[in-house]
Parts: sequence; structure tokens; C-alpha cells
Amino acid sequence: MTKKSEPLRVGIDLGTSRSSVSASSGARHVVDSYVGWPVDTVARKVIKKSILFGREALDHRSMLDLHRPLERGLIKEGSEKDEAAVRELLRHLISLVGPEDGQKVFAVVGVPAEALRVSRQHLRNAVKGIADSLMIVSEPFAVAYGMDALLHTMIIDIGAGTTDFCVMNGRYPTEDEQRTLLHAGDWVDDQLATYIRTRQPEAQFSVHMVREWKERWSFVGEPKGPVMVTVQVGGKPTSLDITNEMRRACEGLLAPIGEAMFDLLARVEPEYHERVRNNVILAGGGSQVPGLAEALERTLGEVGSGKVRAVEDPVFAGSNGSLALALDAAESDWEQLPG
Amino acid sequence: MAELARVKRQLVSDVVRENVETLHGLPPRPLRRPRQRRLRGGLWRALGVVVAPSLLFVAASALPTGRAERPVPSRPAAAAPAPATSFPAPQAISPAAFPLEVRKIVLDPGHGGSDPGAPATVGLWEKEITLDVAQRLRPLLAQAGFEVLLTRERDETVSLRERAQFANFQRGDLFVSIHFNALPTRSYRGIETYHLGPTSDPHVERLAGAENRESGYSLADFRRLLEGVYVHVRQQESRQLAEAIHRGLTTTLVRGNPAVRDSGVKPAPFLVLVATEMPGILAEISYLSNEEDARLLKEPTYRQEVARALFEGIRAYAEARRRPGGKGSA
Repeated sequence: MTKKSEPLRVGIDLGTSRSSVSASSGARHVVDSYVGWPVDTVARKVIKKSILFGREALDHRSMLDLHRPLERGLIKEGSEKDEAAVRELLRHLISLVGPEDGQKVFAVVGVPAEALRVSRQHLRNAVKGIADSLMIVSEPFAVAYGMDALLHTMIIDIGAGTTDFCVMNGRYPTEDEQRTLLHAGDWVDDQLATYIRTRQPEAQFSVHMVREWKERWSFVGEPKGPVMVTVQVGGKPTSLDITNEMRRACEGLLAPIGEAMFDLLARVEPEYHERVRNNVILAGGGSQVPGLAEALERTLGEVGSGKVRAVEDPVFAGSNGSLALALDAAESDWEQLPG
Repeated sequence: MAELARVKRQLVSDVVRENVETLHGLPPRPLRRPRQRRLRGGLWRALGVVVAPSLLFVAASALPTGRAERPVPSRPAAAAPAPATSFPAPQAISPAAFPLEVRKIVLDPGHGGSDPGAPATVGLWEKEITLDVAQRLRPLLAQAGFEVLLTRERDETVSLRERAQFANFQRGDLFVSIHFNALPTRSYRGIETYHLGPTSDPHVERLAGAENRESGYSLADFRRLLEGVYVHVRQQESRQLAEAIHRGLTTTLVRGNPAVRDSGVKPAPFLVLVATEMPGILAEISYLSNEEDARLLKEPTYRQEVARALFEGIRAYAEARRRPGGKGSA
């Protein structure tokens, strides 16, 4: 088999907020999970494209029918536009890693665990035809696979729509070994917006602004400095210190995540408790919140001790894991899974 | 590293299986936790204790000659069993007393990696055909609601020991080892299905010797295995499984290959059947040394037929086990 005729193996992390792709060719890209279609012929003429993705879509949102298709970790049932958005986003991600003309594409797509649990058939249908062969896996599993963290490990994947938990015991995780919370990035955004509005009811800001503030200045525990943002109040740009609001919103994650950790730990066989407690891995965008890993370690201290670490490459940990799976699957495996 | 590789291989297999099931419209398994089979294991172990004394007698006569088949030395005096003739005849226990469902099936594509198996006259090796047939059989079984695992997913060397350990670790309900035969007499064609048991047939002894190569077992391991086999019930179940699969193979394959010969269901001491803890069979489905069989096996449609034939046999056995009073054979 010549190199050119070898299939391109692709790992994709289809996230609520960002999606990334890693390919066997070495190419990798990340895109904000936005898909937009021009709302009318005028918009199409201005934009000069029939569809926009990621940051470009966000920047032109006023002229677009904009979709963030995996809101709350799920494709909305019956929403053809959201299904189309998932399909187009995946096609776009694959096109970014540049398969050659006629080259087959074997893709592993990691999705929020909740999407797989609730609507796997729906999801499978939605992504039909985007690759020659395709597998769908849950995101925390893909992360664990890519890191070889397959034994006595707890993965906590804090995304935008959901926080997914998964305990790896050397086998494919059962539903008993997985949890999904809606306490994730978007929830923090909602909390933060609510706290700011409570304090400054006249402040005008958008959800996109709140998301950007969170991504730049989120923290748990002690801040590195005051968090100052500019909002419109009565039509005037006004500087606002939101340090306390930011802390309160981010620390709101601690209780539900801690509770889910203990719930899962309670199901781990006692002889492996300590190993799992000392092998907690944070993944997803939320893993980078300063102070979060340390705070969760302190939470684990209630039952002895624990070690929590964040993945080194949160943007690509999921897609790299999916790619590892794609590379390990035999050609005969792929033959059973038409895209 | 070997453990990690094994775990990863299993995980890939699980992911593929789950995706295949989704493709076929099967609903997600609500709880895929490992089944609680302690009771069943306990029952089998209890049976093992009851019937084990008969084993050495049976196994000794079953040992083929060759590297892996050296005679089992007698045990130290303190632990030595009495002469076989002094044991009471093992009491027959009807498998119908255990109407347990077949859920998890371990498929064992023979050979692989550095062990290519028999060559076919058409430029294929046995290892390639066994894997292909197993991979065709898997979705058929999955669609019928069985959980299916393969001892190897690709062209890799997996010792008999590892295959058996895998099947035992996974707590398979059935073990089906897929092979193709070859003989210097190229005109010979036939289908043979084996279950664990002694044999005096020199052809079968030679075949077992060949298939038992590269087992990965030491003599001490082998002796322990033999001591652990609960001969009667598992043999009976294995024979019934062999009969059901053989019936599936012969009735299905004769349609497309009328010249194929029914060489029967036979007992044989294949190590992979000794070491697995569940009812198991080894099918030698065709003769790669025969030009016509080899030509047929080169065709994907015929290999699909072979997979379908194995499926029919396994399904018939499983359905018979499920029926009240079913004896395991269809």
C-alpha cells in the first residue's frame, strides 16, 4: 500500500464551546464551535460565503443564523439546523487537516458523554457521511485513552456544556462509572452574569463578553489581582471590579464536582480507592481555571488525600486521544463502521 | 507494557462493538457493568471439585505427543491421586440443571502474527482467513444480542495461553476457536468440529500437536490446568456446542460447496480448549490445502457464508440452552 493510498486517520473533539482535530498527518486545528449561515441574500453578498465557522462566524453573528450545536452537551432533538451544524462543523474540521483527493478518512469523534448517553442513534445519523468510516466515543474516555490513563484513574472533563466524569478501571467504562453535570463553563457564565446584574442592574453586556471574561480571568481561591472589566452603564463605558463575582461563580463548581467525585469513588472497589483518589485528571477548558485542581485536592482531603492534575494540552487532549484510538483500530474494525 | 497493550486492545474492541451495535439500531446497554457471576462460578467450581478426580485419567489418555504434550509426571506421594481405576465413575450431571443463558461469546481467530498457520494455495494464510471470518461473525452475533469479544483484533502473535486467559478473564459463556486445516493430501476436503476430550485417532493427535505449538504454557501450568478441568459437564456442553456448530457449518456450506465432506464432530485435546473455563469448540472449517476450498475461501461472499454458518450453529445452541429443559443441542 502506498503512503498516498493510506487512509487519513483523524481524531476530533466535538465540544460545546470549542472543537479540535488531530490527524495522522500531524496537522491539528481548533475551532470555536459556532456555525453560521447568512440570514439573507444581502448578508451572503456581504460575507461572500455560504457558511462560516468558529471565530469568523462569531464576528459576523449579526448577519448570520448562528448555531452552537452542542448546547448543554446535546444535539437538540428535532432541530435540523443543529444537526446540519454538527455535520458542517465536522466536515470543516476534516477539511482543515487536508486529506488528499480520493484519500479515505477514518475518524473517531469524541462527544460529550451526555450526548452519547441520551441520543447516540440521533448523533450517529447526524454525522452520517462525513467520513469514510467513523466511530463515536465519549470525550472523557478519549482523553483517558490518549493519556494511557486506563487503570484506576478518574477523568473530569470540564467543558462548556457539561462536566463529564469517568472512572477508568482497565475496561470500557460502564454508566455506573460515568457522571455528567450541567455545572460547567456555560453555567459559570450564567452565574457570573447574574451576580454582575444583581450588583449593577443597569450594566449592559452580552453572553459572549461574559464568556471572554471568564476565559481570561477565572480563578478559585486567591486572585492574582483584581478582575476589572468595562461594561456599558447608561450608555457610558464604565469600569467594574468583578473579582468577587468571578470567585463566587467559579467556586460554585466545587460543591457539585466534589459531590460527583465522592459518589463515583464510593463505587470504586475499596482496594483501589486510594489509587483513584491520587490519580484524578482534569481535562477540558475548565481544567485551566487557576486554583481549581488545588481546591479539589483539598476536597479529597476529607476522605484521606488525593492528587489532582490538569492535562498539559487541554485544547487537544480530546482530539489526540481520539486520534490514538483511530490509529490503534485495525482496518477491519473500520470496515464495520461506514461513515 | 504488555498489560497496557492488552487493555487498549480490549478497549478498541469494546468501542467498535458499541458503535456497530448503534449502527444496527440496538439500544445502548443501560448498565454495562460486569455481570455478577459469582454464583455461577461457584457452581462450576463445585462441580469441578466433584468431577476433577476423573480428570487425570481422561487427560492422560488425551495428551498428544510433541513439545507441549510431554507426559504429565506423577504428583508427589502426599498429593498423588489413587489409581484412576479406583475412582467411582463420575456421576452424570445434566446441563439442563443449569438453564443459564449464553450472553458473552469469545471468538478466537486462530494463529496470527509470527504464526501464520497453514498456507492456502491462493496466496493467503490461515491467520488472515480466521481473522476475517471472526470479524464477519461478530456483527451477526451482536445483532442477535450477544456480547462478542475477539482474542485478537489484528495480525498479531497471541499465544494460546493469552487467548485462554483472555477468555477466562472476560468470563465468556462460550469459546469458539476458528481454524482451517491443511493436509499433504491435497484432494482431501472436509469440515471437522472438535470439543475437548481424549482421542486415539493419530490424525487428530497430529493436528492437536500442531495447533498446540507456541502455547505459552509450562508443563507445571499444563498440569494445573488439567487438574482444574471439570470434565464431565463442560465436556458435555462443549460436545453439544460442537454438534450445533457442526450442523450449522455442514448444512450451510454444503449448499455452496456440495463436494465438501462432513468429517464429523470429534473429541481432541487442543490446549486452548483445556485452558478455557467455559464450553468451547475448535472448528477446522475447510482444507486450505485443497485448491477448490482455497479458491472459495478467497471469495468474501464465501467467507461471509462461513461466518453465517458459524452464527447459525451458535444461535441454535444458545436458543436450546434458553428453552426450558433444553439440552444444549439444537
